[in-house]
Amino acid sequence: MMTPRVAVLSGFGINCETETMAVFEMSGAHADRVHVNRLVNGDLNLSDYQIMAIPGGFSFGDHLGSGRLMGNRLRFGLRDQVRGFVRDGKPVIGICNGFQVLVKMGLLPGDKEVSLTQTASLALNDSGHYENRWATLEFDSKSPCIWTAGLERIRVPVRHGEGKFVTDDPTLMDKWAESGQLVARYVDPSTEYPSASDNILPYPISPNQSWRNVAGVCDPTGLVFGLMPHPEANHSTWLGATWTREDNEHGQGEGLAIFHNAVSHLMDA
Amino acid sequence: MSSGEHVRIFEVTTKDLEGLPDSRGETVRSMLKTDHGIKVDSVRVIMGYQVRSTISDAQAETLTYDLFADPVIEVAKTGSRILDDFSEAPEVAIQIGFKPGVTDNTAQAGLDGLTTLFPEQKEARVATYRTYAFWGVEGTVSPSELAATLHNPMIERASMSDRNGCLKGHWPELGFPDVPPNIFKEPTTIDLEVSDKDLLEISERGLLALNLEEMKAIQGHYRNPAVRAERTDQGLQSDRPTDAELECLAQTWSEHCSHKIFAAKIRHVDKTTHEDTTINSLFKTHIMQPTLDIQKEVDWLLSIFHDNSGVISWNDEWSVCIKAETHNSPSALDPFGGAITGIVGVNRDILGTGLGARPIANTDVFCFGPPDYSGTIPRGLFHPSRVFRGVHSGVRSGGNESGIPTVNGAIVFDERYIGKPLVFCGTVGIMPRTLADGRESHVKTPKPGDVVYMVGGRVGSDGIHGATFSSLELTEESPSSAVQIGDPITQKKMLDMILEARDEGLIQVITDNGAGGLSSSVGEMAELTGGAKLDLGQVPLKQAGLSSWEILVSESQERMTVGVRPDDCEKFETLASLHEVEATAVGEFTDSGAFVVHHGQTPVAHLPIHFLFDGCPQLNLESEWSPPTHLPVETPELDEKGMGKLLTRLLARPNVASKEWWVRSYDHEVIAQSVIKPFCGTNHDAPGDAAVIAPIQGGTQGLVISNGIAPRYSDIDSYAMAAASVDEALRNAVCVGVDLDLIAGLDNFCWPDPIESSKTPDGRYKLAQLVRANRALDDVCRAYRLPCISGKDSMKNDAMMGGEKISVPPTLLFSLLGNHEDVRKAVSSDFKKPGDAIFLVGETHQELGASELAFMLRDEGSGGIGGAVPEIEPERNMTVYRALTSSMKSGLVSSAHDCSDGGLAVALAECCFGADSGASIDISPLQSDCSSLDVWGALFGESLGRILVSVRPTDKEAFEESMEGVCCHYLGQVSEGDAISVSRDGEKVLLGSMSEMRDSWKDTLHGGGL
Repeated sequence: MMTPRVAVLSGFGINCETETMAVFEMSGAHADRVHVNRLVNGDLNLSDYQIMAIPGGFSFGDHLGSGRLMGNRLRFGLRDQVRGFVRDGKPVIGICNGFQVLVKMGLLPGDKEVSLTQTASLALNDSGHYENRWATLEFDSKSPCIWTAGLERIRVPVRHGEGKFVTDDPTLMDKWAESGQLVARYVDPSTEYPSASDNILPYPISPNQSWRNVAGVCDPTGLVFGLMPHPEANHSTWLGATWTREDNEHGQGEGLAIFHNAVSHLMDA
Repeated sequence: MSSGEHVRIFEVTTKDLEGLPDSRGETVRSMLKTDHGIKVDSVRVIMGYQVRSTISDAQAETLTYDLFADPVIEVAKTGSRILDDFSEAPEVAIQIGFKPGVTDNTAQAGLDGLTTLFPEQKEARVATYRTYAFWGVEGTVSPSELAATLHNPMIERASMSDRNGCLKGHWPELGFPDVPPNIFKEPTTIDLEVSDKDLLEISERGLLALNLEEMKAIQGHYRNPAVRAERTDQGLQSDRPTDAELECLAQTWSEHCSHKIFAAKIRHVDKTTHEDTTINSLFKTHIMQPTLDIQKEVDWLLSIFHDNSGVISWNDEWSVCIKAETHNSPSALDPFGGAITGIVGVNRDILGTGLGARPIANTDVFCFGPPDYSGTIPRGLFHPSRVFRGVHSGVRSGGNESGIPTVNGAIVFDERYIGKPLVFCGTVGIMPRTLADGRESHVKTPKPGDVVYMVGGRVGSDGIHGATFSSLELTEESPSSAVQIGDPITQKKMLDMILEARDEGLIQVITDNGAGGLSSSVGEMAELTGGAKLDLGQVPLKQAGLSSWEILVSESQERMTVGVRPDDCEKFETLASLHEVEATAVGEFTDSGAFVVHHGQTPVAHLPIHFLFDGCPQLNLESEWSPPTHLPVETPELDEKGMGKLLTRLLARPNVASKEWWVRSYDHEVIAQSVIKPFCGTNHDAPGDAAVIAPIQGGTQGLVISNGIAPRYSDIDSYAMAAASVDEALRNAVCVGVDLDLIAGLDNFCWPDPIESSKTPDGRYKLAQLVRANRALDDVCRAYRLPCISGKDSMKNDAMMGGEKISVPPTLLFSLLGNHEDVRKAVSSDFKKPGDAIFLVGETHQELGASELAFMLRDEGSGGIGGAVPEIEPERNMTVYRALTSSMKSGLVSSAHDCSDGGLAVALAECCFGADSGASIDISPLQSDCSSLDVWGALFGESLGRILVSVRPTDKEAFEESMEGVCCHYLGQVSEGDAISVSRDGEKVLLGSMSEMRDSWKDTLHGGGL
């Protein structure tokens, strides 16, 4: 297939669009910066794109809960375009604030009907404040998630104040675990793969004290994926937290594989 | 209130779920304990939204969980109070909301969300409050004491309910913060044909901050027959200024905007050398001239001193710029608002550079009183811990929400900053060298006829008199209107829009609206074309009824002024509307020679450009230097373990201690460019030196950003202070491998008032300190070929509170922006592996005067701070720096960390923290630098030009070879285990546990909680 086109959303305080576009370009896709209002006013149409990415940032300043107001803009202003995109089986990723948007608008963990009903949330970190620190993620090898297929662990920065994954119906956690939707979890880097566990790891290995150490989830199809950490911020080895202590050759960073996966998924289809 | 309009209240709090704490409440509990020593068992926080609208009950139902509350983790109520629902009534309940007219960003977002759901509710208004419910409050703590810790009465209101009230369900309740209507005052004129005393009275009463000579210059202008004739033609009263004119002149001529002290003619007398000279402008002589001289030798200095920031060429495709500013007075009055306004304000300086640059990195340097200060705080001031928390929180919000990483900074503590904290906010920007239409982006290209747009926020009564207010000392009467709260999201939308407009070639000229508001922004740009006209009637207002002069000088935030060609206006406005940014044509550039202001049909001001910008008379000042005297440093007798303990205590001094708890809450990695981050080491907790960023995605060319600040030395000699600041900035940059052929600097002076007067009897001495600091800056920058490309000064950092005057120590912040040829060769400060060889490069001398050690020993009760301050030998340092950076390029250096506060001993400990290791060194070789060097000088002296380096054992010889001819001592090795051990002449002089030191270093400034 031809080079996939990625709609990287921008506007209203989204602020990671530059690097999010860069990682898709590095992965062989073509990325456009798409102001949300260009989709609302009909200048552009989501259906002309093969991937949608909602980057990190502080949409609407995180006021009234992170992702809430941007989620509403999409849920009420772009409802049909967004549902159509997901029902067409096109990959979607939300990173950090973008993940919060996807959860608040009900696309994640989501349901087969794409009903846009919110079932989980990202609460204030137990520390009560925003933090920027590095964490290690481990991926569920049995997950249907196309974004993380074949990946075991990556090191990534987390940069958020509201990243504690929770729900008000604990049985849902079992259901999502069963279906491989709790795909990305914080792990202790000193352990052997696989070691993801349901017991909440100590701070700061789990920076936000998320339930079951969840860092990212996918929808039942595995095409819609969101995570709090920033894989796009580790696109090159020299952006790592401890690269000056390591003797590896310089090149692609550990986070890039996620974006490669989505592009390959489309190219190989 | 229109028909059907009502105020409805929505309240939201965290749902009771196992595994979901009320972290907002927990944060308050922890803050009360850490900052105020107040113990409470638990705190709950309820968010309240007051909505004035015509929504129906059904719509309110929708809003509850579709807008205000998260249906999964929160519970919400409309129409009744959540306080009623707790199973056990709280002991104290406090409600905090903003005062009318204060910016409420959450409310603004709420209104946006409301109109997303119900677009017809455009006239709705939203306000917010927070209610705090307390249980298990210590008996002696009153509700009003608790309330005092939670709000700032200057901008916020509080309502509270005590134990009795709570039991009866009498809850605190704040009404909707209605802004009283402004009463439009017709423009007036001011008669200046009065006595000198009355002229001064006019200045003081109007908060104009103009002195007699300046008032007389204005008086003279209006006596000029030609001026009078022109004014008659314009329909203005011929012989006297309008209120708007006088305000506009006061803003433009304020110390804040026109830097009168740096432009002054100074007679400088030195009592020790008997020098008696006249300096015609410190700025021109010692800051601008060295840069102009360097500019003759290099081709990369693109735009210096005249724009909002200095611009240098980085490579053929990109230029970069840097600017730092202070926001001291507003941060003293409202730490959060002052700081957030500071950071988003300096971001606008970058956006307003050339045709618009993109801000890509922030740096923040703060000077506060000690956070553990136990003395009395003068009335009208906040305790330093509260200033610290508020400023930090403001800068965090401003930087993080704008998507600009905070990559570097420093926090300095001294009791004299209790009077005025110093809050330096710096920003680095990047722009393409040329735009698609071929224009160089660092050059503004306005033409007469271009339309003047005001873009971004609206004008309100907030922020009137900021520029003149900051040109006065802080007093109990300082106006609250000088305090504002920045709105990063409004600004971010504007920034996105402006950069798109730039790339489409729609911008001819741009500047930000900071100090002095439209009067400064339009006035300054009018200087470029030779005139401008402005219609205040077109300016969008936050509330009706503002008087003409208020609209002209209001410093309401998040506004840029942009010049657009008439043909491009439609495109420009379409782009603005796409981004939901307000852009309004308010005037036109002309070549009439005057800045002409109307309010609708009414003429309001007519100011000749040359008088506005060149009419301010030069100050004549007197300066006299005689060195101060201090008791000498007294060092104790200690064995090696005692020395280890002493180092552990030194590491716990706030100036040295880890700032990690605070710095972690700044985003330092957005834009995916941070190569050398604020923290390094195996546990990511060792302090970095300079920041290195690779701003082009995937590119390996980098930028280095560093800061130097050393106010302690001003107590002995401000020459040493300034020299140490410049050297520290460069030294830090050298530690990461900066390209020494492409480095540029910024000078930010923060001084106490140096003009002799009855309030400042020691003005001559303070001015002599300024002269000496400028001379050091000149000498060192020339030797380092480090041109200052922009800078700023803040010259009234005094507080007069309850009859007591507190002046800050003379402080120079020097910030550096440099090139890095290949970020893959960048070096971090942490030791890497046991067995690595440790070297100290640069000479060590017996220089303990005003050192951190001297202050610690004095604070512990012995001796003073007197003694030799570090003397700079810039040529020698530069040779060392060149050798070291070239050795880094060859990949021979494993780690490099600068020696500053606390000297070699502190640097050694910090390098060990990063490797979880010990170290064993021998300092005997240092005696060859200086015969009088004792153990104290060697370990804790702060001689300049020194960097602690480690190299792989296999590279030891090659490294030594690469350093041949410069001072470089082999000291020892990184070791396994926990012991840091130092010997001299075969005797152990210091022995301590690295992990104990690290705990001590991390504990002091831990902010509480996780």
